[in-house]
Amino acid sequence: MPNVAAGASGQRATSAQIWRRRAIDLASVLVPTVLFALARTVDSNLLLLVSIMVYVVLAQGVNVIYGFTGYLPFGYVGFFGAGAYGAYVAVAHLGANAVEATALGGVAAVLVGVVLIPLLRLRGAYFAIASLAAALALSSIVSNPAVTSVTNGPYGADLTRVFSSGGSYWTAVVIVALAMVSVVALRRSRLGLLLRAVRADQVSASCAGVNVVAARTGAWLLSALLAGLAGAVYAWSISVFYPTAVFDTTISLFAIVFALFGGVGTVLGPVVGAVVLYYVYNAIGVNDPQYFQLIFGVVIVIIALFLPGGLAALALGARRRLGARRGLGGAQPVGGSDVR
Amino acid sequence: MKVHHRLLGLTGVCAAAAGVVAVAATQAQAVHTRVSSKAPKQIIVGTLYSSSGAFAPDSIPELDGIKFWVNQMNKSGGVYVGAFHKKIHVKLVAYNDQSSPTTAATLYSQLITQNHVNIMIPDFGSVLTAPAVAIAQEHHQLLFDATASGTVFFTPNNPYIVGSGIRNSAFWPDPLVQYLVAKHINKVAVLYDANDFDAAQAATINSGLKAHGITPVYYQSTPTTTTTYGTLINSIAATHPQAVIELGYNTNDIPFLNTLTTSGQHFKMVFTVFPGQLPQLFQQDVGTKGLKYTYTYATPPLLPYAKVNLGLNTPQFVRAFRKAFPSVPVTYPAMAGYGTALVAQEALDKAGLFTQLSMRRALANVSGKVTTAIGQFKITKDGAEEGEFLPVGQYLPTRGGTTIKIIYPKSLATATAKYPAPTS
Amino acid sequence: MVLYALISGILIGLFYGFAALGLSLAFGVLRVVNIAHGDVIVLGSYLAYELSTQAHLNPLIAIPVAIPVAVVIGLAFYRLIAPSLGRSKDPEMLSLILFFGVSQVIEALATIGFTVNQDTLLTGPVGNGSVQILGQTFPNYEPVAAAVAVPGALLVMLYLYRSRLGLATRALMSSRADALLAGIDVGRTSALSFGIALALAASAGVLSIYVNGGVNPSQGADLTTTAFAVVVIGGLGNPGGALAGGLVFGLAEQFAQSYEPNWAGLVPYALLLAVMLAKPEGLFGRRARYA
Repeated sequence: MPNVAAGASGQRATSAQIWRRRAIDLASVLVPTVLFALARTVDSNLLLLVSIMVYVVLAQGVNVIYGFTGYLPFGYVGFFGAGAYGAYVAVAHLGANAVEATALGGVAAVLVGVVLIPLLRLRGAYFAIASLAAALALSSIVSNPAVTSVTNGPYGADLTRVFSSGGSYWTAVVIVALAMVSVVALRRSRLGLLLRAVRADQVSASCAGVNVVAARTGAWLLSALLAGLAGAVYAWSISVFYPTAVFDTTISLFAIVFALFGGVGTVLGPVVGAVVLYYVYNAIGVNDPQYFQLIFGVVIVIIALFLPGGLAALALGARRRLGARRGLGGAQPVGGSDVR
Repeated sequence: MKVHHRLLGLTGVCAAAAGVVAVAATQAQAVHTRVSSKAPKQIIVGTLYSSSGAFAPDSIPELDGIKFWVNQMNKSGGVYVGAFHKKIHVKLVAYNDQSSPTTAATLYSQLITQNHVNIMIPDFGSVLTAPAVAIAQEHHQLLFDATASGTVFFTPNNPYIVGSGIRNSAFWPDPLVQYLVAKHINKVAVLYDANDFDAAQAATINSGLKAHGITPVYYQSTPTTTTTYGTLINSIAATHPQAVIELGYNTNDIPFLNTLTTSGQHFKMVFTVFPGQLPQLFQQDVGTKGLKYTYTYATPPLLPYAKVNLGLNTPQFVRAFRKAFPSVPVTYPAMAGYGTALVAQEALDKAGLFTQLSMRRALANVSGKVTTAIGQFKITKDGAEEGEFLPVGQYLPTRGGTTIKIIYPKSLATATAKYPAPTS
Repeated sequence: MVLYALISGILIGLFYGFAALGLSLAFGVLRVVNIAHGDVIVLGSYLAYELSTQAHLNPLIAIPVAIPVAVVIGLAFYRLIAPSLGRSKDPEMLSLILFFGVSQVIEALATIGFTVNQDTLLTGPVGNGSVQILGQTFPNYEPVAAAVAVPGALLVMLYLYRSRLGLATRALMSSRADALLAGIDVGRTSALSFGIALALAASAGVLSIYVNGGVNPSQGADLTTTAFAVVVIGGLGNPGGALAGGLVFGLAEQFAQSYEPNWAGLVPYALLLAVMLAKPEGLFGRRARYA
């Protein structure tokens, strides 16, 4: 992967290449953000748009932790729930306004992430299951009648005092922008390079002086922050919810599948995955949920067996073939579409 | 450092762009009003249901109850709308949320913003109704809350919700508490699931008993996901209760009752929530042996209302519903769906203007004066249903099986309680 | 109460251990993370349900019926996925995602075939009576489950330690490369292990319909989590370890239900996290096994 090394360090790249790269970066942030901002003029169902944005952010969060480090968080919903309840506690007990509460929701998720840093010692399936256990444990604590004075326990959270569909919508747009900036920056930054080096070969990376633990922890907390913000803005957008709603493990499932479907390790893959699959879900899934789950399962199996790079790999492959036909066989992919 | 500069620049540009778009988009938004002086071609009734997941067994019959009403209306030429002095055809729009609150939220939004429903009935239960509350209030859409018992829904500053079916679960156990006190049952064990619906009932029982100087000998919550009850039943038995009250969903009540039959323990009185609402399901999954002599809430159609002034009375409904949906058992959720639709019918009839708030005011005016097949419609200032009453029922042996009979209060009783339950 | 929780914890714990055995085997031998393990258990439960309600047979007959079917399916399925697993740089993660998809497929098919409603068996495995143990009364399915679990685990141990295929399997477990060098048919051994793993899961399902108070299509995910917790606690690839892990899990759960039912839901997860962080090889795992 010579292009990745050259792209990330930027040393041997010509100035034209650098500008081209910057333009692509800017476009990968701006295009989704602007499209979501304009979407409300086309689709009046703001809550649907907020839900899609929430899943875009979650899929990017999965991308940050799985795409860059190889840690697959089955319990990703734990951060989402922590964000939602962080926002509730901020409004109910600290008198915060909705925007402050959203930010504090993100902080709450990061705190949970800090507590769970030891999980990063585990690998592979152990990590996946441990993160799920952590999310289920958190859910069981939040909904316990013994903590009613803090979280209102099983009786549910009420944020109607700060409800504003427009406010939560615009905040969600800003969070999408933040998620896109995070992923672009991560891809371009030293941290991102380190992470990918670690993912490719942990031993030689650490021999080369890479602080593997710090790099991973950074990615972990960033993905926690994104999920927390998503959870908080989601909580704000519906305003009345129960613990089961925000700790629903299908939220993790969706986020992971959307990210894998679009292609992890890329900038735009998870966005496309989330938008396409969530719209499909809303179109078919609502009427025939079992058949949708069946299709969903088959899609995962196909991705696992034949298409580990997701849609992005498919697009890349098509472009390579196209290039080869035009006699540009050696052309290297650029910007957001190169895979790993 | 380079990265940081670029990042800063990137963020700045994004923020600016987002700002511009925000202003443009907000101005482009058309002002949407729901007041209309022209009669619509049809009255759109919007609802959600769950074909799968935890709420499916209750949600599907609720939808059938609503469908039944829609068919009845359309057979008679439509629903009468007072504001236009004429009958209008009814159209039902129902989406499937699969018991997921996240999915339900976007679908409620769709019903309001895209289907522009005139009557909105949320899905079964408080968990699935919760996502509708704030968005309905924002869009000035009245929710005809059929079965949600949430304590957080009804607030003085939100006129856009009206309890029209099942009463808040916090009030359900009132007759049960009176029965326990009247029977001098002083050693009561309460095991409840940690969810809003069950915890609210447990709190009422606890405070109701304490008001009579009775402290439960066992008062514990357990996760809603609990399915193994052997050890819990043993711990309860160790407190030697005279009555055991288990408050769960049907997915809890079924394994609880089944474990009890095989546990070797015997209690003088066992109360669970759902057999009275879904008797057919419990007959199939628990059976006569496990249900015999246990207690439950006696809900319509077990508690029939013969004298009604709106819609069919309970026995008529049971007959008509059986004819219309031969494969669906007549259950309380089905009746709640029908009863809620009747309240919507009354609102359309009596509202002077064809607006959501006018309907809400009309319902406040008729509160306490209307009785349907599921009982009296009576709401508090905040819109919560308070007219309904759930007597205590007990499974008593009949020829070849067992049926629920009302045993308390005396005025409604159809049989005398068998207490303590005989060992058999 | 102490005695009851103790006995019940042991009986249910043995069942948990048995239910986790297949997962332990698949992971220990093949490094395949079968996220669909719980869904295979659910299918076992439905088999027992159908045999009992449609054919009026004793539900325990489902075990001998399920074993050959599961082994055949397992053999075929493993042959199907083996090439992809072999090609992958990270086969463990690939299997995790792959079986995640398989579990969705099974759950969807079960929902279409059996509806969402909970199904229960009203006749016990040996009548509906209860059983007295040390003066305490238990539903009879608890000792029955334990009585199936223990010989089941022993059979797996006999296979692993007293048969030639078992020897090959253990060689594979300790080092795939060495096993290849030693001339072991890795493909066949792996496929057979996977078949046995599925057969164990399906057999556990026949008991699960009783222990878990019924069966419904969405139970699978919880069962997988429980099985994984048991495997992690007990250590991987070791049938004895799985049973021991099951005992620890069962006892913790039952004692929590006795003394702190409010927090009983938290205990299994907290235990899982504690063991993973303190002793990642499991309480009963022996590092020497992998050396």
